[in-house]
Amino acid sequence: MGKTIKIGPFHPELEESVYFKLVADKNSIVQEVEIVNGFIHRGMESLVTNRNFMQNLILTERVCSLCSNNHPFTFVMAVEKIANIKVPSRAEALRVVADEIKRAASNLFNLAMLSHLTHSYELMKDTLETREYLQDLKETIWGNRMDMSVNLFTGVKYDLDAKKVVHILEKLNLAIPKIKELQKRFENDEIIKQRCVGVGILPTEKALEIGVTGPVARGSGINNDVRVKAPYSLYALRPELQPRTKPRNGCDVLSRAMARFDDIIEAVRIIKDLLSDLPRGKTYLEKRPHIPEGEAVVRTEAPRGELIYYLKTDGSQKPIRMRWKVPTYTNWEALKVMILGDKVENVTIILNSIDPCISCTER
Amino acid sequence: MNKLKPKLFRINTGSCNGCDVEFLATALVDKFQFHKLEVEIAEEISQANLLVITGPLTARSEPFLKSYINKLSEPYVVVGIGTCSITSGIFRDSYAINGPTDKVIDVDINISGCPPRPQSIAEGIAKGVAILNQKVQNVNISKQMDTILQGFEAPKSFRGKINLHANLCTACRTCETVCPSGAINITKIGDKYEHKVWHNTCCFCGNCVFFCPTGAIYNTNDFDTAKHQDEKYSDTNISYIKTDNCSSCNKRYKKPTTGLLKKAYINDDINKLNNNLCPECRKKENFTRMYL
Ligand code: SF4
Ligand code: SF4
Ligand code: SF4
Repeated sequence: MGKTIKIGPFHPELEESVYFKLVADKNSIVQEVEIVNGFIHRGMESLVTNRNFMQNLILTERVCSLCSNNHPFTFVMAVEKIANIKVPSRAEALRVVADEIKRAASNLFNLAMLSHLTHSYELMKDTLETREYLQDLKETIWGNRMDMSVNLFTGVKYDLDAKKVVHILEKLNLAIPKIKELQKRFENDEIIKQRCVGVGILPTEKALEIGVTGPVARGSGINNDVRVKAPYSLYALRPELQPRTKPRNGCDVLSRAMARFDDIIEAVRIIKDLLSDLPRGKTYLEKRPHIPEGEAVVRTEAPRGELIYYLKTDGSQKPIRMRWKVPTYTNWEALKVMILGDKVENVTIILNSIDPCISCTER
Repeated sequence: MNKLKPKLFRINTGSCNGCDVEFLATALVDKFQFHKLEVEIAEEISQANLLVITGPLTARSEPFLKSYINKLSEPYVVVGIGTCSITSGIFRDSYAINGPTDKVIDVDINISGCPPRPQSIAEGIAKGVAILNQKVQNVNISKQMDTILQGFEAPKSFRGKINLHANLCTACRTCETVCPSGAINITKIGDKYEHKVWHNTCCFCGNCVFFCPTGAIYNTNDFDTAKHQDEKYSDTNISYIKTDNCSSCNKRYKKPTTGLLKKAYINDDINKLNNNLCPECRKKENFTRMYL
């Protein structure tokens, strides 16, 4: 007879609240998994229909603070599709700069948590210190370490002058060698290898079947990056910006971590390319458009994978329906495959390896 | 002297991640001075005496939060991180929210911010630890607390507490309309308009600042947001916007500010405009001047 183990809903190793009920055999191998959710449900689909479009620029940021640029980014693209707005290319570029900074910082946080869970103290410290370069940047350029308040339908709310561009480049140039060094250390650290290689296996066929996205897919040999497969914004206008990452084939926790490093390095490359050649012009259109009746679907690549927004408007000041498909929604399903047959002690590490964003999923 | 080792347990009651991520950064990055507080992370709630709460308190979390609280033993302190935990912030009028936190448990320290800077979080926890020691020693709890951690600065561009240049404000209510969390309230009181911003509801997004047509409202870089619960409702920014008498009909009206006039009359000298008339009298006068 198996032993029942409960983890959560509030637990020091769980950044977000979730409740696991596991049944393990006498060797501590997980035989059954039940995941109880709903703790982060804030009724956001209802809230957004009670707020006007301007308020929703910010409310969508608070779906999740780790990908808090992607949400309003995708939201404004949906509004722009309905209202047939073409934003200035400088604005598109500034959106991408902000988005890639967030992507890098979000992935670094996940990697820091991985080293935290494996009790690799030095590695965790150094990863968080490296993330601080990006956090400081966000605070000095955009005014907050998590929520950048960048997007606006018709453009962006911020601009970069020459001094700011230099500042960003300086910080990034400090961060790049640290990031590369960290990647090597993660790849070669004995404890990380012990805890992450061959752990939380998601075979490629299973990954395809479930439809996982983002670094989880890229860790199982599949690259379905929206920036490449269905480019939008500046990724469409300037294909040379698209990330050139190759998927990893290990299908385990370490491969997913490495896929995140690949994403970070490409994110920094994209920002540097963009800053060396920022389109000139306006950052937003002065005239605020009327948002007519309409429907739109937009998808983007968030730090965790594919994000889809559905928006329906009726010509009033508020959306009448807004729905999301977030990356964790599909990646979450893969958890059961990863956890079953693995050890109980690995459960939190495996959970962290899909970089779950429960606040996106339950909203 | 009696001193208790602070043992911290964090409960996420439905946060957007921001506060939890930044709490972890606070606890693990040296520059935020958290290590000076000698706080230990408790594995179990029953060992904890420093409860840290994030999130707006979703309906789903409420019964679990209550059952966890039952396992605490006195003395303990409660520190709420983020605007959400103080007022349920941007989510507060949702059907899925039963918060804020102080409906379920007595809170000692609130740290507003969305998310707060790690510097503010560390300061709030330092204040929490100070209160814990006062509780252990059974002395009166001080409500007015000085800043404990020294040497923190914020870049000029940091979006901190909101302030207003009352002389530029026309009480147009744009800020009130675009504010996602309902932190701004403009009410007419007698001859004046009261412009009020609740720092504990504000999510520091800067939407009001961006959309304000006159540049009246602005973010300071003030991040002193770790406050005692007693200040929950008084931590506000209140300004009064004057109205004037119309030089013709004597009715009170809100004169357009120079900031607004400059925007409307980009090629004219605004000093030459007759701006002591209320809108009705101005209409009449202009009609007389142009057509009669
Ligand atoms: S206060 Fe802001 S950052 Fe913190 S949980 Fe709430 S919405 Fe997120
Ligand atoms: S602060 Fe600005 S937006 Fe708000 S009422 Fe005054 S002028 Fe209007
Ligand atoms: S910064 Fe302004 S718009 Fe944003 S929540 Fe605060 S008061 Fe409201």
